[in-house]
Amino acid sequence: MKGNHLGELEELVLLTVGSLFDKAYGVAVMDELRTSANRDMNISAIHAVLRRLEEKGLLNSRMGGSTNERGGRRKRLFTLTKSGKQAIDETIAVRNALYNKIPDMSFNFSI
Amino acid sequence: MKEVKPPSWAERFLGWYCDPYFLEEIEGDIYELFDRRVATQGQQRARLLFIWDVIRFLRWSNIKKSNSKFKYMNNTVLFANYLKLGIRNIRRNLPSATINILGLAMAISFAITVFIFVDAQYSVDKHHANGDRIYQLTNYVEQEGEENLWGYSPFLLGPAIAEEHPAVEYFTRMKYVSASIRHGDHVFDETVKFVDPDFMRMMDFEVSSGNRFALNQTDQIVISQAIVTKYFEYEEPVGKDLSFKFLDGEIRRFTVGAVLEEYPYNAGVRGNFFVPISNYFSMNADTHIDWSDMTTATFIMMREGQPVTSIESSYDRYIQQQHGSNPDWKIQSILPISLWDLSTQSYLITGGVSGGGHPAGRLALMILAGFLLGIACFNFMNISVAASTKRLKEIALRKVMGSVKAQIINQFLTENVLQCFFALIAGIVMAYFLFIPGFDQLIPQMDLQFRAHDPMKLALFLVVLLLVVGLISGAYPAFYISRFDAISIFKGSQKFGSGNLFSKVLLGFQLFLASFIIVGCFVMVDQSIYLSYKDWGYTPEGTFSVFVNNQEQYDLLKNELIKHPDIQSTTASTHLIGRGLPLKSIEYNDRQIALRTYGVSQDYMETMQLRMEDGRELTDRSSDQEQHVIVNETFVQQIGWQNSPVNKTFKMDSVRYTVVGVVKDFHYYSFFSGIEPLVIKGLGEAAPRYISVKASPDKLIAVHDFAREKWQEVAPNDPFDAVFQEDSFNDFYQENDTNIKITLWISAMAIILASLGLYGLLAFNIQKKLKEFSIRKVLGASPKTIIRLAGRQYSWILLIAFVLGAPLGFLGMSALIQSVFPDPKAISVLPFIVAISIIVITLVVTVSGQVIRAIRVNPADVLRNE
Repeated sequence: MKGNHLGELEELVLLTVGSLFDKAYGVAVMDELRTSANRDMNISAIHAVLRRLEEKGLLNSRMGGSTNERGGRRKRLFTLTKSGKQAIDETIAVRNALYNKIPDMSFNFSI
Repeated sequence: MKEVKPPSWAERFLGWYCDPYFLEEIEGDIYELFDRRVATQGQQRARLLFIWDVIRFLRWSNIKKSNSKFKYMNNTVLFANYLKLGIRNIRRNLPSATINILGLAMAISFAITVFIFVDAQYSVDKHHANGDRIYQLTNYVEQEGEENLWGYSPFLLGPAIAEEHPAVEYFTRMKYVSASIRHGDHVFDETVKFVDPDFMRMMDFEVSSGNRFALNQTDQIVISQAIVTKYFEYEEPVGKDLSFKFLDGEIRRFTVGAVLEEYPYNAGVRGNFFVPISNYFSMNADTHIDWSDMTTATFIMMREGQPVTSIESSYDRYIQQQHGSNPDWKIQSILPISLWDLSTQSYLITGGVSGGGHPAGRLALMILAGFLLGIACFNFMNISVAASTKRLKEIALRKVMGSVKAQIINQFLTENVLQCFFALIAGIVMAYFLFIPGFDQLIPQMDLQFRAHDPMKLALFLVVLLLVVGLISGAYPAFYISRFDAISIFKGSQKFGSGNLFSKVLLGFQLFLASFIIVGCFVMVDQSIYLSYKDWGYTPEGTFSVFVNNQEQYDLLKNELIKHPDIQSTTASTHLIGRGLPLKSIEYNDRQIALRTYGVSQDYMETMQLRMEDGRELTDRSSDQEQHVIVNETFVQQIGWQNSPVNKTFKMDSVRYTVVGVVKDFHYYSFFSGIEPLVIKGLGEAAPRYISVKASPDKLIAVHDFAREKWQEVAPNDPFDAVFQEDSFNDFYQENDTNIKITLWISAMAIILASLGLYGLLAFNIQKKLKEFSIRKVLGASPKTIIRLAGRQYSWILLIAFVLGAPLGFLGMSALIQSVFPDPKAISVLPFIVAISIIVITLVVTVSGQVIRAIRVNPADVLRNE
């Protein structure tokens, strides 16, 4: 394992779960990724990533209530854990720090 | 729209492979997607995508790995419980557990014994650390159309190779020569081994005293520990002199330079006297040594990292040189054999120096050990299955309490491996105290003890034996039992045991193997017994022969011997029956006939008690001594003379001989080899080597002692080497006896194992049916009915096993005997009948105890319980 390092897809899924707050389950995460990140993915890949994140302790899950939809099957709903939130914070912080170090002139090429 | 359903096979497929823990969420998500796609993309496409999703979910992490609904279980803690239960179960079912364990132990100890026996043979000469770099240069020689592998090689081969190839570090030749060796009053005939001084650098023999490199001095020799006690008793041997008298009469004195430690048990290349080979050359100084002169063996040692193939290229040149000087003995090719492999290959080599027998014996033993282990494992399986009938409720309860199949399997495997462990311990004890000492006594040529060249290998073998036997014999019962359904056990509707085809097949196979082995062994024993009473073709009782070195000794000894009143006749010969007769080849009518021939003087036939078939004996008349011969029946048959062979002639060594008599065929080697054509001619110019004496058998010992006394007067410097003709085949009788004992032993084990198996199974089944029998008795069943009921399920198996196994064993062993013995006994059905009756009697005794128990059962006792 690479410690607490997050892969790019893992990071995206983690963010999505955070943003969907309490309504995050397989299909919802997949839809959200398609609309906001323009990533088209198979549902089985989403399940694999969600399970991996749960094993890493970044996500918690519980079974939702059953409804008439989905053939009566319950959803597995994911929420961020404390360390999940921390992981997001850290990656964002790292990115921001690096971003802020980029000299302004590098953006001046449009002039 | 609600009507639309995803393809049901895909749903079922998902349900089949998917871990139930994840099934619900996965199903939910793909149903949701399916519904959405039906609405947006149409039915057809939605169904296709559904199938695609199901396939995409087929990942390792989603696949169901066990039927259990519980993912994490604490199996390790349960092991303690399994072990405790295992021991309790052994204690509770002590009789059946003992049968189980002892049967297995017997087979295991036989397997261990065979392992040690085979290991002892495979580890020969492995104690020489450089053995993989030391090679004996053996060679193929074409003789009478066959290529034979010889150990003998030209004297010049070793030096030539060592000089030409720097990759060869050392070489040594070994030349075996007989000599009588004397120290003080001790005179013995010995084999002297001439070697190059580097011999002691190549071989890792431990030196107990003296200088390891003593052979560098021409007059120093290295002797073995055995010689110290034989010649020097309690003296310090180093520095002492020994006098060697060689066959040509030359006497040399050598000083003991070093004494070797006792040879390790697995030393193949060994010797008692190692003498620098320069002495051999100086003794034969008058003959120029060239490529036609042969030494007993040539060894080379390659430098580290140099393959022996690197010297291959020059073989052809040596072969050419050898052909040039000896066209009658053409070496075809040279084959280097590593010292470590020498002993196992030596059955291929004529004139090998490392000992080691034919692999057939050890192969047969390994196969038999496998068979016996198999029988024992089957026993174990059957009895374990039967024994677990008593524990059905325990299994059901365990299941109810939350045990899963894997745990039940674990439990039974643990218990079986535990029993196997006890069996292994018992087997080691039996091997140590019973089997290995027994084998050691049976095979006097080998020093067998509980040891292995590499103890780790033995330990590994034991562990593997434990696991293999434990798992094989434990697996079936464990899987079989764990399958049962708790509910049906509690309801009592679980059918069990008796109707089980597999256990019947096992029992049948085991009885098949047993009858195969037993019948085969008895055929073998019958043959061996026949051989031990077989007529040699002459009467060996009442004759003995003394080896003489020359004519003078012969004359002197004979003059003394004929004075003894009890000696009925004496005679001389160049060779002795039982000690090897020289091979010759003659040409007759353009046909090559290989024969054996030796020279005798007057009264030979009478003294050796050979039986004349036709014609007369040879006398000392010069015509008889020079031109007349006696031939044996095989000779007449092979040469193809139709009517009386007397007065027929043939040429041998460019002398024309006339046949004056025909002797009945007699065995001059052991019965393991056949009778070849034989020509007995007069002594002629040849010096007599043996003086043979005939006396009445009860006086023979006295005559022998008298001869020894006279010998000391006639030739005080030579050992008294006398052979009773009766004793000359002792080795054969001993080997034959060993064969009989080993075969009987193996058949005894086979039958004990088979009856143990039958007993164990029957005991359980009758125990189980006691209630049925009781009720039947109450209702008036006769003992006959009970016997029929008790025996019904087994009698068929027994019958089939016999009908298949006995004839196969009979035919197989008969075929083997026909191919191994040149002159086998006519096949008789007697051993077949004896073997069958022994099997039947043993099994009937085994069964009857149980059946009587069934008949005698008191219904009141059995039925009172409920």
